[in-house]
Amino acid sequence: MSEEKSHQGLVVDQFGAQAHAYLTSEVHARGEDLVQIAGLIARARPARVLDMGCGAGHASFAAAPHAGEVTAFDLSSEMLAVVSQAAAGRGFSNVKTEAGSALDLPFADKSFDAVISRYSAHHWGDIAKGVSEAARVLKPGGVAAFADVIAPVSTVCDTFMQAIEILRDTSHVRDDSRAQWEAHARAAGLTVTGVTEYRLPLDFTSWIGRMRTPPVFVAAIRQLQDSVSSDVRRYFEIRPDGSFTLDMMVMELAKEG
Amino acid sequence: MTNEATDHNGTTKSTARVPEVDRKLLEILVCPLTKTTLRYDSAAQELISDKARLAYPIRDGIPIMLPDEARELADGE
Repeated sequence: MSEEKSHQGLVVDQFGAQAHAYLTSEVHARGEDLVQIAGLIARARPARVLDMGCGAGHASFAAAPHAGEVTAFDLSSEMLAVVSQAAAGRGFSNVKTEAGSALDLPFADKSFDAVISRYSAHHWGDIAKGVSEAARVLKPGGVAAFADVIAPVSTVCDTFMQAIEILRDTSHVRDDSRAQWEAHARAAGLTVTGVTEYRLPLDFTSWIGRMRTPPVFVAAIRQLQDSVSSDVRRYFEIRPDGSFTLDMMVMELAKEG
Repeated sequence: MTNEATDHNGTTKSTARVPEVDRKLLEILVCPLTKTTLRYDSAAQELISDKARLAYPIRDGIPIMLPDEARELADGE
């Protein structure tokens, strides 16, 4: 293994090997946020949808019944192989896969009627760039939905969360706050049409299992959980087995026509 | 748009030949670096960016639009 690793390399290594774990993960396969994304796409009836950082494809599959065609787009070819197989298994012939970076989308301006992205942006390194790329490839009048874990308003809670996230997964970059997301949207020229926040309970064992977190980092996470103030412990509802609850958000956006 | 074929056993499967890249997808694809249009080389299964001097591979019908995975074009190519 090379000592020098690109961030993209970390993401590909981390997810390629665990692609199937994401297909079956309850957190990823279910959720009110997924229902919300499906609802947005069902109302918009877009001809062409882009799923940025599709992972195992859950958002693509939620959109597929209501869209002409969905491009499931991810850095990891291994992940895309899982998506293709799962799409075929579910009878979605309109889901196409393509590999690339969310920060440099290989699509012409105004190519898509809708852009969706779920649990991906915290790996991007530059969320503002990703959102501006989404805005670029959206047609005027198009809609977008970004769903991801968000940082709490409290600074100490924010710091704690990013710390355990990077211990768990070295390809983690940052969960931005809702305010930061709103700023990214404004900078990209997109209009925020709705924000819905959810509390996301995570089972500790499966949370670290998906990432194959090394024992030394698991121990560090548990130590951190035990060492923080009771305010932080309460905020994240940290339980004796390490399971806890995060905030996530679905931000719906529109590109003015 | 289908890449499927039915073999003599009656089972549907991907074509034995190289799976075709989706034509409609090709229309909107650009080079991620230069955002310029690409040339599709169906024999080599590559998408060529003349401006970036890179050939992006298509593997199993999936365009791999990552500069790190692309082949640099030789002189005169």
